[in-house]
Amino acid sequence: MKKNLGILGLLVAVCVVTAFLSGSFLSAYNVENVLRRSALFGILSIGVGFVIITGGIDLSLGSVVCLVGCALPWLLTVQLWPLPLALLAVAAVSLGIGLFHGLLITKLRIQPFIVTLCGLLLYRGIARGFTADQTVGFGNEFKTLRLLATGKVPFLPGFELPAPLIFLALVAILAAIFLNRTIFGRYLLALGRNPQAATYSGIPTQRMTILAYVISSGLAGLGGVLFVLDVNSAQPVDFGNFYELYAIAAAVLGGCSLRGGEGSVVGILIGAALMQVLRNMITLVTTRNNVEFAIIGAVILLGVVADELARRIAARRRAAHVLETAGVR
Amino acid sequence: MKLHSFIRHAALLGLISISLGACNKSAPTEGGAASPASGEKTKKIAFVTNGVASFWTIAAAGVKAAAQEFKIDAQTLMPAEGISDQKRMIEDLLTRGIDGIALSPIDPTNQTELINIAAKKAKVITHDSDAPQSERLLYIGMDNYKAGRMCGEMVREAMPKGGTIMIFIGRLEQDNAKRRRQGVIDAVLGRPDDSNHFDETSAVLEGNGFKILGTLTDQFDRAKGKANAEDALAKYPDLGCMVGLFAYNPPLILEALSQSNKLGTVKLVAFDEDDATLDGIQKGNVFGTVVQDPYMYGYKSVEVLAGLLNGKPAPGGAEKFLDIPARKIRKENVVEFRTQLKTRLGATQ
Repeated sequence: MKKNLGILGLLVAVCVVTAFLSGSFLSAYNVENVLRRSALFGILSIGVGFVIITGGIDLSLGSVVCLVGCALPWLLTVQLWPLPLALLAVAAVSLGIGLFHGLLITKLRIQPFIVTLCGLLLYRGIARGFTADQTVGFGNEFKTLRLLATGKVPFLPGFELPAPLIFLALVAILAAIFLNRTIFGRYLLALGRNPQAATYSGIPTQRMTILAYVISSGLAGLGGVLFVLDVNSAQPVDFGNFYELYAIAAAVLGGCSLRGGEGSVVGILIGAALMQVLRNMITLVTTRNNVEFAIIGAVILLGVVADELARRIAARRRAAHVLETAGVR
Repeated sequence: MKLHSFIRHAALLGLISISLGACNKSAPTEGGAASPASGEKTKKIAFVTNGVASFWTIAAAGVKAAAQEFKIDAQTLMPAEGISDQKRMIEDLLTRGIDGIALSPIDPTNQTELINIAAKKAKVITHDSDAPQSERLLYIGMDNYKAGRMCGEMVREAMPKGGTIMIFIGRLEQDNAKRRRQGVIDAVLGRPDDSNHFDETSAVLEGNGFKILGTLTDQFDRAKGKANAEDALAKYPDLGCMVGLFAYNPPLILEALSQSNKLGTVKLVAFDEDDATLDGIQKGNVFGTVVQDPYMYGYKSVEVLAGLLNGKPAPGGAEKFLDIPARKIRKENVVEFRTQLKTRLGATQ
């Protein structure tokens, strides 16, 4: 948790500044919106977090979101599949994609960057192929199903929790338990820190790697379903475009090291929320959203630099303190 | 001996066919009816869009219908990745020796050079969005500024007492988007016709009892487009009217409105004919929409190119503009409009 203090501080600072500059930021409506968006991106970020912890990368997330997000309405409204079958199909596809990536990376030893980069091209291409580039959506149908993303759960008077947040909470709790309280979580962290040492100490590294990619694609699939249920319209050309980068940025902001072996679920959640609050701030506070990415980039960079500097100063102090006490003795 | 004479005959035949081919090339209009057997190739043309959208699917239906009618080989190409993708498509078409191109330029000013290069090798016309400085032979489409003004007029009808307005649009880099947005602003504020200026997106514009609070773009990211609508509703709780200017914007605004229980309270004026938009008009959640006629863009593009390739002069006069006027669709005429749309799409599928 200590590690996440820096990023948490940044999130709080951005929230305070935004609340100060815009009266609407803390309105129930806006908080619900930001929570819903953070939840949707948070689910993707936790998924990619697992892969990053093993020292890998998953660039195919956005395209999996696209494939699943287009496939579900397409299966339901164009192919007229029954709902359980369609849900089963998209779940199987997203988990299957993860298994496919994992096998290529562990058995054929192809670099994760290449495998998932090809995935990025492949899945969007497939989605464009079967939809023939047509926009798909649910129209006025499947209102009940769409409640999974658009529904709200009463929480406080005048304030409701958006449904995706419930999904995120479930995913986050399971992920945190898995990562911190089970032996498999230890395995994952060990694998990311030093794969060779992990192998020699008897950890089934290949299976753990495959598992990480299955989790990543599986959660991307869940995210894709929730995204399309929320937006109600998916155009395969741009649906989910760049979402892998938002997710990776959130995970890295939240303390996942791209070198592997480090990362926490809480940190990832804060990272994902920070990205969404920043985007929300730009629309609420400024009247120009074309500088959005510039502001997001600058704030994140500032935060990471400040975090790194603070860490160094702390380390230097600690070293000085150790020297001092050693000298006294 | 037999072999020798065969070769001589074959060579002679080859020479004749080559010279015939040369004749055909230098004078494409001659002997059209007389020499179908000599293998005159069907002319090939391409209809290039500025992206992938259901709007262009309707246009593609028009292309297909006209191609059958005018007996020409026409294909529709939709660049998925913006301007560089469009450039690649045009270059590849020229390499393949295309005879005519109808193009919707994404960035007209900066694509002038590309269009001029294409115009040297093929008959080039623009549709949907014009490149007036280029050597294109004709622009087929509507005047986006005028259509924007029609949309602005509907905003005024929707809010007879005035009020606050937010504008939502995919992106503002392309000429048609700029002009469309400017038309809305000028009509709402009661300014005279002047399509050549551009109000900054960040400027708050007031006049005529209306206040235009700003314009938000989403660069085609739909989740972002919906977030824009939500953020605007959060920022301005008393927002009077939302204007969605790209086909997918109004449906996203409808989603945002329905999730915040503000359907009907905040007026929505739309552009283009997305199904959800038309549904919204029928239900009374959308005040009205301005529709272009993409089917006719496709149809007329093919008709004009076929004519040009047969030596006919370009229509459109000195202005080099073939107007396909926009229409206002409201509750009164939405059903009739939908029926027509269905028939046209169904006819070619």
